[in-house]
Amino acid sequence: MTILTMITKMSEGLGRTCAIFFLTLLFALPLGLIVSLLRMSKNKVVSSIMKVYISVLRGTPLMLQLLAVTYGPYYLFGINVSREKLIPVVIAFSLNYAAYFAEIYRGGIESMSQGQYEAAEVLGYTKFQCFMRIILPQVIKRILPAVTNEIVTLVKDTSMAFTVAYQEMFTIGKQIANSQTSFMPFVIAGVFYFLFNAIVGWVMGRFEKKLSYYR
Amino acid sequence: MKKLLALALALCLVLGAAAALADEFKMGIDAEYPPFSYLDDDGNYAGFDVEMCKAACDILGLDQVIVPINWDTKLISLDNKEHDCVWSGMTILDTMKEAGYVLSFPYYDNTQVVLTKEGNGISTLEDLAGKRVAVQLGTSGEALLADPEGQLELAKTFEGGEPVTMENFNICGTELDAGGVDAVVIDLPVAQNLAGRFNGFVILEDNLGSEQYGICFRNGDDELCQKFEEAIMQLVEDGTYLSLAQKYGLDENVLCLLNK
Amino acid sequence: MSKLLEINHCRKQFGSTEVLTDLSISVEEGQVLSIIGPSGSGKSTLLRCATLLETMDGGDLIYLGNYAAKDVNGKAVYAPQPELQRIRGMFGLVFQNFNLFPHYSVLKNVMEAPMLVQKRQEKEVREEALALLEQMGLSDKADAYPYQLSGGQQQRVSIARALAMNPKILFFDEPTSALDPELTGEILKVIRKLAEKKMTMVIVTHEMSFARDVSDWVVFMNGGVIVEQGDPRDVIDNPTHERTIQFLRRLQEK
Repeated sequence: MTILTMITKMSEGLGRTCAIFFLTLLFALPLGLIVSLLRMSKNKVVSSIMKVYISVLRGTPLMLQLLAVTYGPYYLFGINVSREKLIPVVIAFSLNYAAYFAEIYRGGIESMSQGQYEAAEVLGYTKFQCFMRIILPQVIKRILPAVTNEIVTLVKDTSMAFTVAYQEMFTIGKQIANSQTSFMPFVIAGVFYFLFNAIVGWVMGRFEKKLSYYR
Repeated sequence: MKKLLALALALCLVLGAAAALADEFKMGIDAEYPPFSYLDDDGNYAGFDVEMCKAACDILGLDQVIVPINWDTKLISLDNKEHDCVWSGMTILDTMKEAGYVLSFPYYDNTQVVLTKEGNGISTLEDLAGKRVAVQLGTSGEALLADPEGQLELAKTFEGGEPVTMENFNICGTELDAGGVDAVVIDLPVAQNLAGRFNGFVILEDNLGSEQYGICFRNGDDELCQKFEEAIMQLVEDGTYLSLAQKYGLDENVLCLLNK
Repeated sequence: MSKLLEINHCRKQFGSTEVLTDLSISVEEGQVLSIIGPSGSGKSTLLRCATLLETMDGGDLIYLGNYAAKDVNGKAVYAPQPELQRIRGMFGLVFQNFNLFPHYSVLKNVMEAPMLVQKRQEKEVREEALALLEQMGLSDKADAYPYQLSGGQQQRVSIARALAMNPKILFFDEPTSALDPELTGEILKVIRKLAEKKMTMVIVTHEMSFARDVSDWVVFMNGGVIVEQGDPRDVIDNPTHERTIQFLRRLQEK
């Protein structure tokens, strides 16, 4: 197999890698915010449930969660979700990353000074207006470096989808490597991930720069 | 988000319907297992099992669909109807039968052998004492060396009292070539494959017992299994079985259906 | 003169510590009231109760005859949220450490609440905000961000932000405590100007000479109760209560 064939073949999987990546971000970022808000809820039951959710999702391997989401429904309820595998894969990734994002959000929100809430409250902002206009924008600026870290990890974690044989780039790379007795696919995969993360780094850098107008 | 969900749902329905309409036969393979099932130079799935299945499907009027699976969870994904069989150099185990899976007759008699390199001073199983011996993770060779009724006693004589496990057989080959290990316990056809690729590799005459490859179907698919067995026998008679085996460099000795 | 703010029999506990004990004050329209006293005397808590940042355990809180909280059998019962929200529109608060919104420009800090909360037209709000900034001597800082301003400038922005809501009464919580001594003058000047315009104000402060000059009424608090109150010249220059005398002497020694 020529290197060009390898690259072509692996590029087919790159689309699926990107699908996992973007869909996970699309769902996990807002879900993480909801989880972190419920985690900080004054309702003890709600906050304890979220605490358990976060500790389970962060405390067990993503690989296991992928298996549980993909095959669990069949063994528990006879429901088959593994045919269109992107769905369980994205669900598992989103649930997992939401737990990590939730803790990042929580750190950011808790680092905000009480004075910001009070100033908005006295001015008559509703709780929602205060959060969306005053707190969240500042939180986003503060947590951006930590979020970038997670996103970079997500790029590399997409390869975990091989656990349920989702044909993303790395799964295909492994197949070629073992079929062709060649380490070349791993080199190609490394370059792919590196370039992907270079783009992620560039985009996040732009984003950080955009938010650097204030301190 | 709602739109996306609806789209995803619609996609599921369409895919589900399409699958129900066509007479598909989904063949579950380990795409990393040459010469039985792997990606060829053009990036297409090929191999002895892949082509045998294709030929059998042609006889049965089925549309062969290849589903690459994770070997570690092959029975789970089979249960989940992601594929209709596991057909990929799979060793028939009694535990599978006990768990209710339907297994075809063996179509290939595999033997576990010791692959070593010239100059390592290994010519019998006894010579393995104190040597570094590798085995591929998750293979029947690994199970054999850990089985008290199998070759556990032999494994205890190795350096460290157990074999070194490796991610895949290619790494086994590379390690053996580079001197990282002294010998590899491996399936015979794979050993032959590696011996052809690397200089100086030799297969010991003493083997560690034989094993048989078969096709695994879901519980209740006895009829489907029988149909495939009949189709395979037809392929044995018309010579396809032998010619495919030769095409993929399999030893004639392992073709257990030839003398049936 | 009508009563703008009335607090009757206010009680507040933090855990088992009583911070405010049966405390009553009233503020009339156009009046400037200063609250002085040692730290821990409960003056900031009183201000926080008056501005609804803290809830009282017992007592009445009344703005222009509207009950924000009413004492029922010794327990303060608060009005429903919409009513409280309406009452919040009657007062403004200037914090010790400004609490400006750092991600907004000076102008947006001043303009957002009137537009968002009071739903007023942008054009009108902008004109008013610019006028307020000019009044504060900050015309050239409209597009600056808080971090680019000195403490005194930030505090003037926060006064403009509070005034933009057209409050009936303005509270100051130690408005100069976080500032370098040479910057306190500019803030006191602004407050003095507001007093000349008959703005009703309640000021918690440590600046005794300022309190004497600007206020119509001085309240001296200690240990959660009002020890002494009256005309500033009486309370500050000729205190009668021993605690007041001690407190003022200690301040002079500093």
